[in-house]
Amino acid sequence: MNLSTQNPDLCSKCQLTDVQEFLTRFPIFSGAPAGVVNLFGYLSKKEEYKKGQSILEEGKNCDRLFLILSGKVAIFQYYNERRFHLQLLSGDGINYFGELALLAEFKWFFSAEAWTDVELISISREAFSKVMERYPESYQSMVRKIINVRIHRFVDQSSYLLDHISPEAWREYPEEEE
Amino acid sequence: MNKPGADSKVRITERSLFYWILRRHRPMQLFLLLVIVISLFFRVFPLEMQKRIINEAIYLKETELLFLYCGLYLGAVTIAGLLKYAINVMQLFTGQKILVEMRTELYQHVLQLPLQFYRKMQPGTVISAMTSELNAIGFFLGGAIAIPVTSVLTFSVFLGFMFNLNPLLAMLSIGIYPVELVLIPYLQKKYNTLNKRRVKTTRAMANVVNESISGIHEIHGNVSYGLEEQKLSSFIDQLHALMKKLFIVKYGIKFANNLFQSLGPFILFLVGGYMAINGQFTLGALVAFLSAYEKVYDPWKELIEYYQSYQDAKIRYSQIMKIFDLDPPHLLLPAGREPLALPGNIQLSNVTFTVGNGIKLLENINVDIKANEQIALVGFSGSGKSTLALLIAQLYDTSRGNIEIDDYDIEDLSKFDMGKSVAMIAQHPFIFSGTIYANLLYGIKAIAEDDELPDREQILSVIRDVGLQDDVVRFGLQAVLTAEECKPFRNKFLRMRQIILTSLRDDFANAIEFYDATKYLYYSSIRDNIVFGDSLSGEFLVERLADHAQFMELLREIKLENTLLTLGFALATQTVNLLADFQDDEFFFRDNPMEVDEFTIYSELLERLKGPQPEDVEDRRLLLTLAFRFIPNKHPIVSLPSALEQQILKARHLFQEIIVNIDMDHCKVTGSCKPCDKIPKCGESSAFIPFCPSEYMYTRTLLDNILFGAVKSEKLLDDHLRTLAQQAFQDEKLLDEVMAIGLKFEVGSKGDLLSGGQKQKLAIARAFLKDAPILIMDEATASLDNSSQARIQGLLENEFKGRKTVISVIHRLDLTPAYDRILVLKAGRIIEQGTYDELMERKGAFYELVHAES
Repeated sequence: MNLSTQNPDLCSKCQLTDVQEFLTRFPIFSGAPAGVVNLFGYLSKKEEYKKGQSILEEGKNCDRLFLILSGKVAIFQYYNERRFHLQLLSGDGINYFGELALLAEFKWFFSAEAWTDVELISISREAFSKVMERYPESYQSMVRKIINVRIHRFVDQSSYLLDHISPEAWREYPEEEE
Repeated sequence: MNKPGADSKVRITERSLFYWILRRHRPMQLFLLLVIVISLFFRVFPLEMQKRIINEAIYLKETELLFLYCGLYLGAVTIAGLLKYAINVMQLFTGQKILVEMRTELYQHVLQLPLQFYRKMQPGTVISAMTSELNAIGFFLGGAIAIPVTSVLTFSVFLGFMFNLNPLLAMLSIGIYPVELVLIPYLQKKYNTLNKRRVKTTRAMANVVNESISGIHEIHGNVSYGLEEQKLSSFIDQLHALMKKLFIVKYGIKFANNLFQSLGPFILFLVGGYMAINGQFTLGALVAFLSAYEKVYDPWKELIEYYQSYQDAKIRYSQIMKIFDLDPPHLLLPAGREPLALPGNIQLSNVTFTVGNGIKLLENINVDIKANEQIALVGFSGSGKSTLALLIAQLYDTSRGNIEIDDYDIEDLSKFDMGKSVAMIAQHPFIFSGTIYANLLYGIKAIAEDDELPDREQILSVIRDVGLQDDVVRFGLQAVLTAEECKPFRNKFLRMRQIILTSLRDDFANAIEFYDATKYLYYSSIRDNIVFGDSLSGEFLVERLADHAQFMELLREIKLENTLLTLGFALATQTVNLLADFQDDEFFFRDNPMEVDEFTIYSELLERLKGPQPEDVEDRRLLLTLAFRFIPNKHPIVSLPSALEQQILKARHLFQEIIVNIDMDHCKVTGSCKPCDKIPKCGESSAFIPFCPSEYMYTRTLLDNILFGAVKSEKLLDDHLRTLAQQAFQDEKLLDEVMAIGLKFEVGSKGDLLSGGQKQKLAIARAFLKDAPILIMDEATASLDNSSQARIQGLLENEFKGRKTVISVIHRLDLTPAYDRILVLKAGRIIEQGTYDELMERKGAFYELVHAES
């Protein structure tokens, strides 16, 4: 129903439609049936974080996927009590993190922090499961996309780490480990 | 403290029904008899008046006599009526009093019956016996003496009156009674047999229902509705067949009664009429005779009914007493001394415990446990660990051998001795409905005097010890306090709000949208945005707003009503379109102003609506309700344009000015803490509390009051800010107050509102508060997470070491090194014992168990 024809002051669906359109830009949701995207749009949550605020912490239970609407998010990890920067994700491109949280329950193995003021869209694992229960035919394709997305990220992060590894740490063969 | 003792030497189940009646409330019953005797005179007197009215007043045509006799007649029947009323009331009161005593004493007896009894007994049988069947007996008890005495006396007096009038006629009219004396008991016997079967079938049916309700999760899980229906339907059919027969006999008895009642007047008219025609009997005497005959039949009928109800009550009573006819295994209170709190030297000699079919769960257990020793009982499943713990706690009794606690044979110790000496924590503890506080004090209250109960500090300390603090604080924060309850802390709580609004504002602003009288609130409903407060009377609740004439008038005045109707229409349309296939799952309605069970209502509404402005009042109310509930940032299904925000802010302003007559200016200053009643105009409508920094909102939870705003992100609040808030509470010395409020949390039936871990912690705290010298834990920490388990273990090691004898049934063997001694059980026997190191060194069964676990 287009409510705007009946009352120009009310913008029916605006927010929902915006989110739905936003979702289709992400590889996980692109090509998914309209019903699935609509439901994810409806079940997604908007979250806002101020610069410097923690979004998720390593070791805490994961429960949702984050899509960046605007702002920048720093992804990092602690190793030997030192913080290691892994990625800076920006809302200017198509960026997201925590996609594996849709599939399984585990502890976050990285942390995320608002590098600038950030607006995010999140989708919980519970919502993902509920939608997939109703659209089981889409499940396999969604899982495949999530794994692909994860592989891309893994490749990106490995490249980033290799780019920043010190020459002393380079090893060509296993026997050079000692 | 209530220490019930044996007030009678006769065991309750061996007492007859009349034992209760003849020994209880005797003065009341004697008085009742006196009233009955007095009432007899006033029942016979009108008959004499009847005779005199006809034979003297009418026959002699004496008007004055007529008035006199009529007056006396009226007076007598009125007094007789009043006395009858008093007799009935007194009868009922006496009966109910006896019933209360019978029920209380029987319940006391039932509770003390051994656990073995409850293994065999279905709860439905006990419940039905204690409730409905006893109730039926109660109705009999009151009249058990009064009815037969009244009936016999009345019968004799009227019969005497009849003999006085005419012995022949009197003989003839009671000639039919002996027939009844044979027929009625015959029918009654049949009725009794059927009634016994009815009681049995009803109990069996109650058991089936009780089992279904208790196992409702399984039924839902297995979709076994049909199976359960089948189980019950066979009993329903049986009961139906029995009730049919029962009523046939019952009404057969009634029919026989009525028939005999009608035969009497027939004889009277025939013989009496003949005698009157022949001048052998006066007309007045015949009328009086007829009245007397009618009256003489009443007590006769009452006697027969009494006989029936006596038989019924006797059967019920004997059936009830038969169920519970066994002695409690132990005395409640020790004879001739105060209950003991024994230090806990426990000696088991050749202890064997056998269940049905001679299966030995424990065999020849010999152990000496020293006072303050900490013992772990470990072993394979079914090895008898828990049984051993229950035997030491006197919850089971040994089949052979004996257990001594500090040289007292456990057989001879009373329940109160054990209550004072032992605290027991079960693996699946039972939590009673009521508050956390009541559950905490459950153990100690049973054995201690009121002045021995722990004070608040002790209770809170135990709560902290067992790791229940966060939960209790949470319950406290979720409490809605009345003005009276809040009074002592009101200002302190408002001070907390101030802290969050000022010094912690930046932290909380991410998770909370603070109430601000000048701004539109995106995380609050449209109702909250307009009303911006609550009425104590509930006048401005969402569901009532659309019917509030003044409020609706205001909306119309600023042309907001139609816009809100359109919004409601949009919300309904979008939801119905999007969630048509999901109306069976509440999850999809979490972020929607429509509730899952309203879907059909709105779906039907949309089918009959042509547009967003319906004529029908109810349709308008439905749409408006949806709009009032709408929260822009939580219900993404529709967007709210900024123009509407301005209109709503205008509505808020007018609402405050016109409807609740409150000046909100002082509330617009962030950090204002001036109480409303100190400000002109504010607080005039005292039943309305605005969202004002200086006002405590008595309709909202303590947390709502402190946060003073709508929650944007529960997760943020949970992850980080709760800790921050708790710290602030601690700093302000308010945490104990909040915990004390949390202790009043109602845990629901069987503690259903608590998680498994919370129930377990509550049970541990309950046992710790009892502070008995012997602590028996039957896998008491099994359902706790690792850190909670470690916390309790730490308490045992540090706080209880050298203070308490601890016997702990343990599954997790990594907890055993801390114990002084480990007893390893297998197939009902102790196969190893020693310290952790000794057993590991021995490389026996324990060693194998440890390795199997790792």
